[in-house]
Amino acid sequence: MQPITITLDGREVSGYPGMTILELAKESGIDIPTLCHDPQLTSVGACRVCLVEDERNGALLASCVAPIASGMVINTHSPRVMERRKTIVKLMLASHPDSCLVCDKGNRCQLRQIASDLGIGLVELQRIPQMASIEEVNPFLERDLSKCILCAKCIRACQELVVEGAIDYFQRGFTTIPATLNNLPLENSECTFCGTCVALCPTGALMEKDRTYGGTTKSMTETTCPFCGCGCSICLEIKDNQVVRVIPGKEDSVNHGALCVRGSYGCDFVNSPDRLTKPLVKRDNTFEEVSWEEALEQAATGFKRIKDKRGSDGLAVLGSSKCTNEDNYVLQRFARCVLGTNNIDNGSRLYNSATRTGLGYSIGFPCTTNYLGALGQSEIIIVIGANPDSSAPVVGYAIKRAVKYKSAKLVLIDPRQTKLSSFACLWLRPNVGTDVALLNTLAKVIVDEALLDEEYVARKTDDFEALTKALERYSLEYAEAITGVPAEDIRSVARLYGKATQPAIVYGTGITQQRGGTDSVRAIANLALLTGHIERGGIYALQRENNGQGACDMGVLPDFLPGYQNVADAQTRTKFQERWKVDLPADPGLSAMEMLERAKSGKINGLYIVGENPCLSFPHSGLITKALASLDFLVVQDMFLTETAKLANVVLPAASFAEKDGTFTNFEGRVNRVRKAIEPMGESLPDWEIVARLADKMGCPLPFSSLQDVMSEIEELVPSYEAYSDYERQDELAYGETGRTYGRQLLKGFARFSPIEYTPQAGERKSGYPFTLLTGTTLYHFGTGSRSSRSLRLKKFSPQSFVEIGETDARKLGVSHGDKVSVISRVSKLATSARIIDGLPEGTLFMPISFAEAPVNELFDIALDSETKAPLMKACSVKVEKIPLP
Amino acid sequence: MDKEEITGELDLAQINAIVSEYSQHKWALIPLLQKIQSELGYIPPQSIPLIARSLGLFPSQVQGVISFYTQLYTQPRGRKIVRVCRGTACHVRGGKTILKLVKQHLGLEEGETSPDLEYTLETVACIGVCALAPNIVVGDHVHGHMNPKKAEQLFRNREGRG
Repeated sequence: MQPITITLDGREVSGYPGMTILELAKESGIDIPTLCHDPQLTSVGACRVCLVEDERNGALLASCVAPIASGMVINTHSPRVMERRKTIVKLMLASHPDSCLVCDKGNRCQLRQIASDLGIGLVELQRIPQMASIEEVNPFLERDLSKCILCAKCIRACQELVVEGAIDYFQRGFTTIPATLNNLPLENSECTFCGTCVALCPTGALMEKDRTYGGTTKSMTETTCPFCGCGCSICLEIKDNQVVRVIPGKEDSVNHGALCVRGSYGCDFVNSPDRLTKPLVKRDNTFEEVSWEEALEQAATGFKRIKDKRGSDGLAVLGSSKCTNEDNYVLQRFARCVLGTNNIDNGSRLYNSATRTGLGYSIGFPCTTNYLGALGQSEIIIVIGANPDSSAPVVGYAIKRAVKYKSAKLVLIDPRQTKLSSFACLWLRPNVGTDVALLNTLAKVIVDEALLDEEYVARKTDDFEALTKALERYSLEYAEAITGVPAEDIRSVARLYGKATQPAIVYGTGITQQRGGTDSVRAIANLALLTGHIERGGIYALQRENNGQGACDMGVLPDFLPGYQNVADAQTRTKFQERWKVDLPADPGLSAMEMLERAKSGKINGLYIVGENPCLSFPHSGLITKALASLDFLVVQDMFLTETAKLANVVLPAASFAEKDGTFTNFEGRVNRVRKAIEPMGESLPDWEIVARLADKMGCPLPFSSLQDVMSEIEELVPSYEAYSDYERQDELAYGETGRTYGRQLLKGFARFSPIEYTPQAGERKSGYPFTLLTGTTLYHFGTGSRSSRSLRLKKFSPQSFVEIGETDARKLGVSHGDKVSVISRVSKLATSARIIDGLPEGTLFMPISFAEAPVNELFDIALDSETKAPLMKACSVKVEKIPLP
Repeated sequence: MDKEEITGELDLAQINAIVSEYSQHKWALIPLLQKIQSELGYIPPQSIPLIARSLGLFPSQVQGVISFYTQLYTQPRGRKIVRVCRGTACHVRGGKTILKLVKQHLGLEEGETSPDLEYTLETVACIGVCALAPNIVVGDHVHGHMNPKKAEQLFRNREGRG
């Protein structure tokens, strides 16, 4: 492309065709004020504040939308431009309330800033009074449209970034406002309260509501969101050691200026009064606040006593998929070097082990193979067993953006209707638990119709013959009979996927927590390998929690040392032994569920739980609680006195994500920085520091005196974390080149097919329990709710548990919206209220997992996946009974 | 009959049929809206999600377009549109009084539609036949040289039904 040269404020500058005057000016260091422009959004030239003058013909151009043309002579600050710019801003001010003194936007208001920069004092124009604000009852955001300057940033954010489209301009001329459909309040619209528009609004028209802490921000810290596995960059605004506000972080990250309701409004748990501020020790069944010295002494003595009496195998450690990589690294070293056991696991066992085992077997490394930004280049996206709109909202946005603005075709495979359904060109609703049959049939069509990449299969993969043999019986008719999906649809999907050049597959807990999840993951990998798409569009394995990936990478696993290096391998062990200068236990340890089972049978006597709440997150909580209660000694390290912590002998107060430095690894394998924004609450400490102090007390100090020590050791010992703490270098790398997604090459350069058989689930629907209950997340809560239920606004907006019942089923049961019902499984029952919706297949119910008063996981019997030792927690047979009003 | 009852009887199948003719073309939005309006007399708000889905737009976007153009209506309109001219010529020849009388006869305010969907009352800035002022347009027919008596005759059958 030929560069175009223009004269800008008397200087010759060159840009490329398609560049706007504003972009070139910015590049040349000339500042042009803007109100409606944002680099993340398409430019519309609505506010006219950025106007400039072309000296040749006197034309006034909105520089944000005017492309540069050869020979232009542009003045950005000539007297004429300045006068016009002033008039435009004065016209805005004439219809803007004078409430700046009390407006919470304060000095963040861009209108006020520009007016001040232009030296506008009095506005001599006649005032146009504006209408009153709209009353909103939601706890998150408030619209005062009298302050709206119609820049349409909110509208474009909603349509282009979040792809919700809840608002658009309504009416015309003086009466124009941004409005929802039928001009209803936001809570009655499609709005998901992601807060993206609030962060972009240049004035006080869109404001955060019900803030827990008021006042003007004193400092800002870029960090990473602590909720789901997306790893969005967020910016914490701080005053008086309190989080005042959360806004989207730097632009080139995974979230591109957008967030979801949890990130925007859920982080106030940090300042919750429920936070533990001092160590607690249980005496005579009540907790007493004690000093760190005493609490650590107690914990160390407790563990030492068991170690001496029962040996290291009597101890176990449960790490956290919410803590940082460094916390987890130190914890696994503590378990292996200080306690001397491989009995260490982390909470991601519950939702991630199918990916770890399945992808680990098929492609050699257990992680998403592509970066999120590349999803926009995929012309076909298959989403199976995932509801990213609530479990990984930013992935949901990316999928919707690809469909809406890049003409990608979405194939949704999900029995439940989700927000993505309306974006899908094909929506397959297989019977629950029949994914393997469906996926195998897709593979068979691809093989039969020669849609496979023969060259790739021959060159890069093993076991192709075994696969084709295993696929023989998966005819379309057979699949239709099992899955209930029309044969024609299955064939269409296979052809779409087979013929596309860069199609992607996205899956989530609907696959991994389901019975046979590992098989499904392998079947997905088969598809991607057959077609060679694994190296193009790839597979996106969603993570439920912020650091599920990192906790596993750091070796908080019973069978792997950091970096998935097999603990049973003598050579690997020797390497670590030499580095750590201790003897390492050779046998793989116990997985999370096995630990708890052994605790019940008295084989595990001491347990150290860091940042997990198994009483709610694990199945059959009654049993889990019993198991934990039967331990000799339990130490829980958490931010809150959770249901689990209440059972502990010693409770150690941990610092929140906002109070410590470190890193989280997101579902892409991208290592994101966590930065300390405030001082730890009370006496709480970062998890790794607590672990290190405990090691000191036990007489085996770990060689970590600073976080940098931990990071250096990780860099040395964990493959793919080389130089990860060098942020300057990381920032230089183009997006997508960080972490393991580097170059999209398979890490070990090998891949193999897995012949998978569909096994019908015998007696899945037990007689007397006619419904299949599916569980999952809701957008307004997270995990077991230990953090989100302590976030005031999330709690207020979605205070109560519910069970979703399809319309037909509800009619048959005689249940109406809001009725109290009992949901009863073979092992337990719980009471909740009914929500009648359409979009659930008959015989299927849905319940979110995040409410402590109705712990859904209690309904599940403990059934472990034979391969991954993960409890199955996606679907369970239940019956529903209406609770009569008292 | 209130508005809900009117819209309650809506034939969504008819709208669906029109929508499917135009589906998958974003540019078809305005012709599609005009077609629905010419068939049904207005664009029922309930049809907005259907239209949006078929064209790959957001419902709020479709609503934005409808509310921008004065030619598009989301309320049912009368079979006969009565437009009373308020241009300068009509005004000086008593157009204001004529409007008042028509309001009385029809029992309607400006912009309203009679519950039996017979009449919609509007005003218009000028219809360009100032020589005949004051003017009323009923449907496509111009009634010039209006006076109270002619206005009464024009709407005699409506008396007392408003």
